[in-house]
Amino acid sequence: MLNFFQLILIYAGIYALMAIGQNCITGYTGMLSLCHAGFFCIGSYATAIICKTFGLSFWLSLPVAAVATGLVGLIIGIPTLRLKGDYLCIATLGLGEIIRNVATNFNPVGYNSIPRASLFGYQFASRNKLAFIFLIWAFVLIFYILFQQLAHSRLGRAMIAVREDEVAAQSNGINVTKYKISSFVLGAAMGGIAGCLQTAYTLTVQPGSFTFMVSVMVLCTVVLGGMGNGKAVILGAFIIQFISYLPQLTGLTNVIPAQAKQIIYGLLLVVMMLWRPQGILGRDKYRYGDPRTRMEKLSDFFRRDKKGSRAKGGAV
Amino acid sequence: MRKAIALLLVAFICIAGAAAGGSGESGSGDTYKIGFIGPLTGDNANYGIRCSNAAKLAISEINAAGGIDGKQLELIAEDSEGTVDKALAAYEKLAYMDEVCAIIGPVFTSPALAVAQRCQEDGIVMISPSATHKDVTAQPATNPDGLNYVFRTVPSDALQSDVAGHYFYEVLGYRKLASLYAMNDYSQGLALGMKETFESLGGEVVAEETCMVGDKDFRTQLTQIKAAAPEAIYIPNYTVEDAQILEQAAQLGINVRFLSSDGFSDPEIYNLAPDFTDGVIYVGPAQAEASTILSDFQAAYAEMYNGDAPDSFATNSYDATYIIAGALDRAGSADTTAIRNEVAATKDFQGANGTMNFAPNGDLVASQGVYEVDGTTPVYIGSFQIVDNHIVQVD
Amino acid sequence: MSTLTLYMQYIVNGLTLGAIYSLIALGYTMVYGILKFINFAHGDILMVGAFIGLLVYTALTGDASPSAWTLTAFFISMLVSMVACAILGMLIERVAYKPLRNANRLAPLLSAIGVSFILSNGAAWIFGTQSRRFPYPFENEPMHIGSISITPHQIVVIAVSVIMMVLLTFFVNKTRMGKAMRATSLDQPTSQLMGINVNRVISLTFAIGSALAAVGGILAAFDFRVYPSMGTMTGLKAFVAAVIGGIGNIQGAMIGGVLLGILEAVGAPLLHIPNGMKDTVAFAVLIIVLLVKPDGILGKNEREKI
Repeated sequence: MLNFFQLILIYAGIYALMAIGQNCITGYTGMLSLCHAGFFCIGSYATAIICKTFGLSFWLSLPVAAVATGLVGLIIGIPTLRLKGDYLCIATLGLGEIIRNVATNFNPVGYNSIPRASLFGYQFASRNKLAFIFLIWAFVLIFYILFQQLAHSRLGRAMIAVREDEVAAQSNGINVTKYKISSFVLGAAMGGIAGCLQTAYTLTVQPGSFTFMVSVMVLCTVVLGGMGNGKAVILGAFIIQFISYLPQLTGLTNVIPAQAKQIIYGLLLVVMMLWRPQGILGRDKYRYGDPRTRMEKLSDFFRRDKKGSRAKGGAV
Repeated sequence: MRKAIALLLVAFICIAGAAAGGSGESGSGDTYKIGFIGPLTGDNANYGIRCSNAAKLAISEINAAGGIDGKQLELIAEDSEGTVDKALAAYEKLAYMDEVCAIIGPVFTSPALAVAQRCQEDGIVMISPSATHKDVTAQPATNPDGLNYVFRTVPSDALQSDVAGHYFYEVLGYRKLASLYAMNDYSQGLALGMKETFESLGGEVVAEETCMVGDKDFRTQLTQIKAAAPEAIYIPNYTVEDAQILEQAAQLGINVRFLSSDGFSDPEIYNLAPDFTDGVIYVGPAQAEASTILSDFQAAYAEMYNGDAPDSFATNSYDATYIIAGALDRAGSADTTAIRNEVAATKDFQGANGTMNFAPNGDLVASQGVYEVDGTTPVYIGSFQIVDNHIVQVD
Repeated sequence: MSTLTLYMQYIVNGLTLGAIYSLIALGYTMVYGILKFINFAHGDILMVGAFIGLLVYTALTGDASPSAWTLTAFFISMLVSMVACAILGMLIERVAYKPLRNANRLAPLLSAIGVSFILSNGAAWIFGTQSRRFPYPFENEPMHIGSISITPHQIVVIAVSVIMMVLLTFFVNKTRMGKAMRATSLDQPTSQLMGINVNRVISLTFAIGSALAAVGGILAAFDFRVYPSMGTMTGLKAFVAAVIGGIGNIQGAMIGGVLLGILEAVGAPLLHIPNGMKDTVAFAVLIIVLLVKPDGILGKNEREKI
């Protein structure tokens, strides 16, 4: 029971990392991308190849996965980001499918028996989930803070300006292409990091698991939590994973058939969306021109919950 | 808003608490729990559902006959959706929440590889009915005792493709074959293995076409194969793909013989492509001589599941359940090490798929059967083994 | 077999596949044209349509061998399935999408995925997961033109798709309701002010789109078989076809579907790469098409934001 709950926390953490990336692309910059399965795949493969084929450390594979995925994001971003709305969505979806298709044709079995990660002599064994929870949620926390800072930096404000009105942003001297691509690359790199951590836990990489449904679920995580709201997407990741494993967690799967489990999941998705169309927490309020210094912000961040982060729903 | 979140959290905690209460009484001593992991929903659910059905059938038979030492068996089937992360979640639940004494599955190779690692680590017996890849039984035993906990009741694809290559070359006398296989571990493993054997004997694979699992249109590949004019076409795929390939080949006017693998032993093929199966030769599980176990199983399965017919993987799953039950009986307790020792000590088990033994690494040691389809009825030709690089008929 | 006839054969095969994609793409494109949202459950409606068609057809004919009656029964079952799916489509719209009409543009996406989960797993629960064959209602002996083979079912698939598309084009362009539909897709509030019952138009759009999906499902059933997850990948491909053609544009969806079907059949052999990579070729070409024509082949340039 507790053990299984820990597993949900691990998976939720991995999805939270992906959702942070997706949020950067869709929530901040307003680009509809359905490519996170592809980035997730590249990150997983990078770790698998570095740890298994080259026998190098997991910690080395982490930046490599991020950089490799970021690079792929850059290469596919430069041409495709000229597209708008659903055309961008379908182009990125196509790229995700291409990545999976190429990976499957490259080797349909994928990789297995990938060496474990270790830190100061401590081996991260999959059965010790507590260690993974600390590892993964530490990353979630770090990237949450980083992206929160980013959102309130010049870069982040530029991204939001691009989302709100591209023409207005452009006429204010914002290089739209540059910010779109930066946002896409950052988001992609997050997918890579999530893939890397997932591989560290499963120790097996299978091309078949990176279907477009993964991309869709990541997008759903962001929509469910609240677009452009860092805290919300992490909550969304937790909720999506929690409800998808709820029947197993409660032992309900011993009684009901597997299809019923999926139907419950589908029903919960519909009900939650009807209940909170703007996302559980809704969009984050913008704070233009924050006068605080970086240190003040950081200290405020840990004390803020009282008044600062009150969410405004439905601000589209 | 804040209230809503709070409410949500409270609801979660309540559910979780209720569940904790509910699952608290599990692990009590009057049942032996056996886990099953396989795809029960999603694109490949059919294979998982058949395997879990067969295991359920075996368990209900054992229970009807009085169970094991008066204790009943219980099968807990968890869905893997055919992916690694879901399979690991299923494992987590079975191993830690239900505390099962053995696991049947996973059905597909990649989840099987992931779960095999955990089973080796935690010391829980795992018997896969259908993961054919060679690496499944090559996982290092990482448990403190260094014992192997991973077994399978399906032959490794190396064994089957070896028999296939020899049979096609030596017995059927083919020299030019074509193959059309799906890019998954099962089909690719068989096709490449067969090619290696066949070409080492002096034959030639003149066209090698691939597809993806779930593809529906094979006409492009078949048109290319037709242009290469092979003597026969090897299609080691799952039933649905094979059915489509046979039908579309006929539509394209291809009339050479088709050769296949144990995926073809699924009787569903005769519902999907009844007009096109005549003359297909396939390598499948060997049958026990003068034994009615297989036909009894098929009849019981059809009766229990509204006329649905089991495929060879379901048959393997049925055998796996009986092997575990036998081991439980001999071990006399739910101690996983004792069960593992008894499974490993299984000797000449008479199952629906003939006589079965395990190699030290957990691989199945068995002959391979060859069948030829007459209309819509497979006719058993005999079982074969490879001795000194030559095919030998065993019975 | 000469290279030319080889490619002629690929194109015939691709056309069949493309015709099915086109039919399904029409449903996506019509819904998108009016509501600007991707109906992810569309592929599952297709599956429901195929199941209903199969059930009605088997109930009517049993195991009868092809005759005039089986052909009639085939069209009856298609009709029944169209009606049933139209009702299902309207129902889904009413329950899962209508409350979200004024919400965030991506919100209905999530409830659409929920509906898709419910439909495909519900079907798996009721009908089981095994594939079923849709019996041919006519003799399906392949015909040979030169060394190209074509089967009657391929002709039927293409013919029915063309008829459906002609009917739809006529409906949208020539009838009062079609005009209302076009007006709604252009500007919803204004059409409402002009006295158009927008709710009814949207319901009708879902009904027509779902009915077309049912036809697509039944036609696809010959080649694809009928099984609960048959709509997932087919639906995705059809959606891609709709976007390529210029989403919201009916002719575009037809062109996109045919293009995608032919690409899948011809792409890999043309480039001499393994056929397992045919999706890669198809998607890569589609992306290139989009880069050249960023609004799809027949799409109009429109700005939007999320």
